[in-house]
Amino acid sequence: MTWYSGEGGLSGLVHTVGRITDDVRRVRRGWHWDTPRPHTWPEQGAVVPAPASDLGWARQEPVRSIRYLIQRGLLLPFTEVMAHPKVEGREWVRELERPVIFAANHSSHADTSLILHALTDRARERTVVAAAADYWFKRPLLGNIVSLFLNTFPFSRTGGAQAQLHSSSQLLKSGWNLVLFPEGSRSPDGRIQEFKPGVGHLAKETGTPVVPMHIRGAYQIMPKNQKLPLPGPVRVRIGKPMSLQPKEGSREFTARVEKAVRALATEPRQPDLQGTWIERWKASKPRDLRYED
Amino acid sequence: MPRPGAVIEVDRNTPPTLFHYGEGVRLEKLPLGSRIVYPPDPLDAIAHPERAIKRALAKPLEDDPLKSLLRSGMKLTIAFDDLSLPLPPMAAPDVRQLVMEEVIDMAAEAGVEDIHLIAALGLHRRMTEDEIRHIVGERIFSTFWPDRLYQHDGEDPELNVYIGKTADGEEVTLHKRAVESDLVVYVNLTLVPMDGGHKSMSTGLASYRGIRAHHNVKTLLGSRSYMNPPDSALHHSCIRQGQLIEDTVRVFHIETTVNNHAFPAIANFMQKRETDWTAQDQAMFLGMKQMTDLAPPALKRSIFHAMRAPYGLTSVHAGQVDAVHEKTMEAVRNQLSVRVEGQTDIVTLGVPYLGPYNVNSPMNPVLVVCMGVGYMFNFYRNKPVLRKGGVLILTHPCRYEFDAVQHPSYIDFYDEVLADTTDPAEIEKKYELRFAEDPWFRQLYRKSHAYHGVHPFYAWYWAAHAMEHAGDIIVVGGEREVVHRLGFKSATTLEDAFEMAEQTVGRHPSVTHMRMPPIMLADVE
Repeated sequence: MTWYSGEGGLSGLVHTVGRITDDVRRVRRGWHWDTPRPHTWPEQGAVVPAPASDLGWARQEPVRSIRYLIQRGLLLPFTEVMAHPKVEGREWVRELERPVIFAANHSSHADTSLILHALTDRARERTVVAAAADYWFKRPLLGNIVSLFLNTFPFSRTGGAQAQLHSSSQLLKSGWNLVLFPEGSRSPDGRIQEFKPGVGHLAKETGTPVVPMHIRGAYQIMPKNQKLPLPGPVRVRIGKPMSLQPKEGSREFTARVEKAVRALATEPRQPDLQGTWIERWKASKPRDLRYED
Repeated sequence: MPRPGAVIEVDRNTPPTLFHYGEGVRLEKLPLGSRIVYPPDPLDAIAHPERAIKRALAKPLEDDPLKSLLRSGMKLTIAFDDLSLPLPPMAAPDVRQLVMEEVIDMAAEAGVEDIHLIAALGLHRRMTEDEIRHIVGERIFSTFWPDRLYQHDGEDPELNVYIGKTADGEEVTLHKRAVESDLVVYVNLTLVPMDGGHKSMSTGLASYRGIRAHHNVKTLLGSRSYMNPPDSALHHSCIRQGQLIEDTVRVFHIETTVNNHAFPAIANFMQKRETDWTAQDQAMFLGMKQMTDLAPPALKRSIFHAMRAPYGLTSVHAGQVDAVHEKTMEAVRNQLSVRVEGQTDIVTLGVPYLGPYNVNSPMNPVLVVCMGVGYMFNFYRNKPVLRKGGVLILTHPCRYEFDAVQHPSYIDFYDEVLADTTDPAEIEKKYELRFAEDPWFRQLYRKSHAYHGVHPFYAWYWAAHAMEHAGDIIVVGGEREVVHRLGFKSATTLEDAFEMAEQTVGRHPSVTHMRMPPIMLADVE
């Protein structure tokens, strides 16, 4: 009999509450909630993490529509006001026919919003962000909120190549673009750090092109250990998509992507990486309108 | 079928007349028997601008098709007019964007790798990135800005090349990139008859050295008017310079014209004759009048300057400069011409909030003179609507208000030069060179968004002809001290102005009100 089944009336309810109270009391005593851990107990082992969730709910409707509204109404206007980002090379991400990996330098928490701001609506709507599992998903509530806003998924920085590959390659294969920061963590001084090989592994495993991106100015907005952002100018430079050459190893490819991101940081434009004007002009051609009969 | 322009005589049933009053509007009752000249209705716009542009480029006038002029390995430069045209700025997409996209498409197909786009500013201010983006569109901006799309700098000693002298001794300079190019494609937008033709290159890509050949008091006094090129010494000088440029550089000229649909739906009453005002137009007028009476100037300005005109393309021609410009003038006259019989003792003009040199800034007193006494007075062919010695009456608040970023030299011009004299010839002789060569003004012109140091002089010279022609100039509703500094008379109301005018033109004068904008060109018989 349950208290809400309608049987037993008030006496039933009292009975149920009493039972729950007894259970809680028993557990409290058994596990010494109000006293120190008994020294006779064996030493505490490593905490075994719960199996990671890939936060599939964040990529389902109606969450996608809610995120669209949040991003258009809050995130993008806020980014625009704070950074007034200048984007070069948007034509390379306008008409993406297949999923790509966006590989960018990482110096600030603002990087993700700046990358999303630089994308077209169409590309942004199909983009997931790899977020460090041991940082963003340590607290489930925070992880879920960030996923709602930015469409992040947990990306293990410590689990080796196979662990990194699994969920990311599944997402790429199911049509999602992936934002990845190959440095692994935010730069402590704003300079680009060495790239970890994950981006190359992932590109090789899935045959996905990599779009190199360089963000300049994000470190001044919100460097590591700063809690609140400060306004400042930002430039986001997007390079031509890069694909693995025949017989090219994943580590060589990672090195090539790193070199491209470093080159994008330099002035002036880099036609080799950003494309000649003719290539960019053709890439930015609007789609022909097709009228129904 | 759009109505042609009209001249209406004021009778007892005529509704009050709309007068522009800077960032505001007024209704005025004109004396019985006065004439009101209305511009023609907007001509029908071309339904498919892209197709018309493609056709013009494929079948140019007295020139080869553009496609045949483009080849891989060549140096191509596209120059285009700046934001001083059209007014108000055009609602996106700007016709210059449409034309340039076609040209660039062709260049891409032909594999022209070396291509530059230059905003032909002349001595105007540098535009902001957003202003350039508005003219060229996002696609061109993101592909070329800032290394291949940039603005002319008339003060860069290395980028301005002296290319020679005309038979009349006018020096000609040109942007170095244009001189070194195998082909220069000029993309123009002609709003009024003084624009376009050889004037585009000879002023847009020139330096002070070349521009001063025709932007001077003598030339402008010899231009009756400079809105009618055949009678304009200014244009004759530009043509001589342009011919020298054509001998030096291979030019492919593209000119476009738009109709005079100058106001968006929110200000539709400004577009219409008062007798056509519906209840909605009357309500909109009342709303705008109350808003402009009460709102602080900055708010009013932001509202007015946010307006974008729904102009429609009426013609596009490409090819050799003279052949193209002849067709363009025909299209402009079709849109703007109004037949007006005879001259008049008094002409009234409502000076609006915007002129070519104050896009996104207040119209300072010197620019009020440039706009009202300069441009608006000169919208005529054959002879001015105002008889020699007649009275010109303007309505404008004429505040002591300057934009320190865009018009720094205007401030000194007003405070220092006009305090001494308002005579254009004397001003030119005593002060022009000092302002033109001032290193601080030069720096602001090159690196900030300031008009060139000499620009207020040119703004003043535009008015030289009207100042010489009119017996008196009265400003209604202006700040008295400012109006006196400009050398004019100040009146509180239009009635007062008429009374003051009687002292110059006698009792029972004839009055004509030129109901602009939208702009028109009075064909005075």
